[in-house]
This record gives sequence, C-alpha cells and structure tokens, in this order.
Amino acid sequence: MEDKTPISPPTVLGLYDRPMWDSIRARAMRLQQCNQCLTFRYPPGPTCGSCLSIDFEWQAISGKASIWSWVVFHRQYLDAYPTPYNVISIQLEEGPLMVSNLAGPEPTGSWIGQAVEICYVTLKDGTVLPRFRLIQ
Amino acid sequence: MAAKIPLHRSAAVVGIGHSDWRQDWNRVRQGEVPFDSYGYATVAFQRALQDAKINAQEIDGLISGQSTSYERMGEVLGLNVRWGGLGNAVMAISQAVMAIETGMAEVVALIYGNNQRSAKVQYGGEKAIGGESVLSYVYHAPWGMTSQGSLYAMLQRRYAQERGYTESDLGQVAVSQRAWASKNPHAIQQKPITIEDYLASNYVCEPLHLFDYCLINDGGVALILAESNRARHMCDKPVYIETIARYDYNQNGTSLRPQLETFYTHAQEKVADRIFNATGWGPEDMDLVQIYDSFAVHIPLALEGYGYCKPGEFPKLCKEQGIGPGGKRPVNTSGGHLSESYMQGWNHQIEMIRQLRGTCGNRQIEKCNRGHYSSDIFGKAFSIIYGC
Repeated sequence: MEDKTPISPPTVLGLYDRPMWDSIRARAMRLQQCNQCLTFRYPPGPTCGSCLSIDFEWQAISGKASIWSWVVFHRQYLDAYPTPYNVISIQLEEGPLMVSNLAGPEPTGSWIGQAVEICYVTLKDGTVLPRFRLIQ
Repeated sequence: MAAKIPLHRSAAVVGIGHSDWRQDWNRVRQGEVPFDSYGYATVAFQRALQDAKINAQEIDGLISGQSTSYERMGEVLGLNVRWGGLGNAVMAISQAVMAIETGMAEVVALIYGNNQRSAKVQYGGEKAIGGESVLSYVYHAPWGMTSQGSLYAMLQRRYAQERGYTESDLGQVAVSQRAWASKNPHAIQQKPITIEDYLASNYVCEPLHLFDYCLINDGGVALILAESNRARHMCDKPVYIETIARYDYNQNGTSLRPQLETFYTHAQEKVADRIFNATGWGPEDMDLVQIYDSFAVHIPLALEGYGYCKPGEFPKLCKEQGIGPGGKRPVNTSGGHLSESYMQGWNHQIEMIRQLRGTCGNRQIEKCNRGHYSSDIFGKAFSIIYGC
C-alpha cells in the first residue's frame, strides 16, 4: 500500500547547519557561540556577524524563550501542514530570534511576551523539530 | 556651501509603456498563454518608444527587470548597447541614473516582463521563488513558514500591537487603494470595497486578509531615461529624477530581526535624512507618495518612517487628511499592487510619470509637481524623488 505520510518540508542544510540539526535529533539543541564576543548565532554560519571572528564553539541552549510575534496560516502551502496552524517568532534567552511553532495550549489574548520553553516533537515521517510550549 | 544632492536632475524619464494588464489578466484567466516574460516586455518597450517618439537605434543602455535575463532581453529586442545590467525597479532606475551621470550611457531602456500568473510562479510552499538569494523565504519551511505573506503577517501582528492599530485601521489601505483603482482604466480590480468587505474577507495568513495581498498577474512595463539636456530636446515634459537614496538592513535578516524589531522604519528614517536634508524638502513638499505594496502594511510603515505622520498616527492621518481620492495625502493613486497590477514596483513608476505629466484623467492630483517613491523589500529602504 502506498505510504501517504506527508514528507516534512526540507531543512536548509548548508555546511554550518548540519551540526545544529544533529543536536536537535539528539534533543539537546546547540548553536554556535562566538569565542571572541560571545554572541550566539542563528542561523548557523561561517563567521560572527557582530565581530567577524571565525572562532566559535557549539553550545547547548537553555531552551527558554519569549514570543515576539505569531501568525495563523489559513491557506495551505505544504502537505505536512494542514490548516489552520500557527507559526511563532521567539527570542531565545541567548539572544537570537528564531521561527518555530507553539505546541500545546495557546494563550488567551495576545501571545506576544509569553514565556515559552523548548520541546522536541517527532513528526510522522521521523523528522525531529524543536517547538516551544507555554511555561505554566 | 550646501552638500551636492546625489544624482540631482542628471536624468529624466522621456518614455513610458506597459502591456494591457486587464486584457492580459482576462486572457490568462481563460487559460490562454498570450506571451512569455519577454513577449510582455516587448509590448511595453514598443509603447515606450512610441511615447518617447524615438526609434530603438537611439537606445545605448539597457536594463532588464529581475524576472528576465539581461542578455536574452537584448537579443530578443535586437539591442546592442554600450552599457547594461539587471535589476528590480529601484535598482534599475538607480543604475540607469548613475550610468547617465557618469557618461556610460545617454538613453537607457529599462524593460520588465513577467509571466508569473500563467507560469504559476509560487510565492509560498516548497518551490517559493527567491529562496536562493533571500534565505528567510525557505529557511523556516520545517515549521511550515514559507510564504512571503507570512513574513509580513508576522511583522504586522507585532507592529499593530506596538502601535495600538486595529484591523479596521490597517484595512483603510486596501479600501483607499481600491477607490483609486476604480478611477483607473488600467487597473485589474476596479470594484470598490468597504471596510466591512475588508473585515469580512478571508484570512490567508492571519492577521493578513485577502485584500492585504498584492495581485499575481502577467504583464510588462518599460521606461526610457535620458540624459537631462537631451531629454529637454526629446520631449515637452520630461520628468526628472531629483535624487535617490537607500539604506539596507542585512544583519540578522534571515531571523527576521530587522522587520520585527523596528519594522524597517529606522532604515527609512536614515533614507529620509538623506533625501530631505539634501534637498531642503520635507514630506509637506511631496504632492504624491507612491509606495511598494506587496502587502498593505508597507503603506503605514513608509508613511511613519518618512515622517508623513508620527508613529502611531496612521489612523489619524487617514481620518484627518485621507490617503484615497479627495484626500490631502494621496497614496498609490493607481491602486498599486493591491488593485492595479503587480508589476513589482515598476507600475508605480508609470503612475508617478502619468501624475507628474498631468495625464491621469479623473484621478489626476491638482498641481502635482513632485513625488516620492518608497520601497522596502529584502531589507532595502529605497527612495526616489521625482520632479517636473
């Protein structure tokens, strides 16, 4: 029988993205931290955009974040994402903004400023995604 | 001594042309494929030559729009030139004016053709166009975010809360631009809408309603720019480029920080300093404002960013001055991308020239001598001031 499991949208896998996705699969997400000015980098890349140092280390992130903005898709663009579903912009405790989804209960009223923490969700096709849920 | 005004009146627009957007729209809707991108470009170019009353041999510079190849455009139109390149609307105009000022060319054709509707170009989903150059179009796909609309939906949600704007406040853009389009025989969507229609329309990516989105249609646009002295001999009413300025936000662009932190308005303030300080003009000296509007929220952002109103006072500007027909602050008088035609910034230049020539019929602005075009896409805040 044909497998109807929707394939998850592809991740951008540049040279510097792979270690991050490996850490996500291990459920302990890491980002590059600049060894010179300590700035965290997202998305991963070859150099620090703040001081241009190429010296960095992969550091585990705390998983704590707050919501900057949110949207709800009502038009479907992707097989793996039937509508409606949310997408959020969060600021990680380490500084970078990141796009993700809010898992679990949704706030009443505005989502902006709500405290969230990371959770790892395994999609139907086995892809592991970092998502965020409200801190109660 | 006052500082030199960059690119000040060194070039002027002497010819404009475009394809029949309404006819193109209807034919494509009926399943026809009237032209490819180069075909639409050809129609527009022929009309621009007729408008300028010159023949193609006088063209010595060529810029192709962003959806076609420069070399192929030159081949299709049989144009051998001494200078050329590729660019979107604002890049093309600034390159052409710089080439003219530096003597690299004297008469430059800027030619855009796009078959995005008939070719089913995707602005969302896994095949979203532009991802190879603008990473934010594809980077967030694992979380279901690919469409260009969703980037502006994310911006608008935070912006509206920070400013205290309601959906009705922001819906004034779509309603006003459709009112302008109802007076424009070239506009694809001419049926007026009310704020109730806007609020009742579906969300595509909430908080954006259907009417906040640009059209997707086929068509072509061409402009001919000439060195100013030559322009004066070529036509009765050349429209000059008074000055151009830009400021780009690239840092942290993929993570959307520039559009979520300051909504690009800080970049626009830097550009405003250049265009207004250099010329001694201010917002009050602009008779017409044309704003790139892939999404309606570009309009309040630019009006705030350039000082046409204070941050948070867009609803007041709409109520007390008005941005639609009869208003004191006319914006996007053709209907823009939302209602006239989505020619990716190129049709705004056409409308600017028509208004400054005084050929806009029953939507003509009285005493229209100076206009401001603003675009903010891919983090680039760009302004062109046009004058008679």
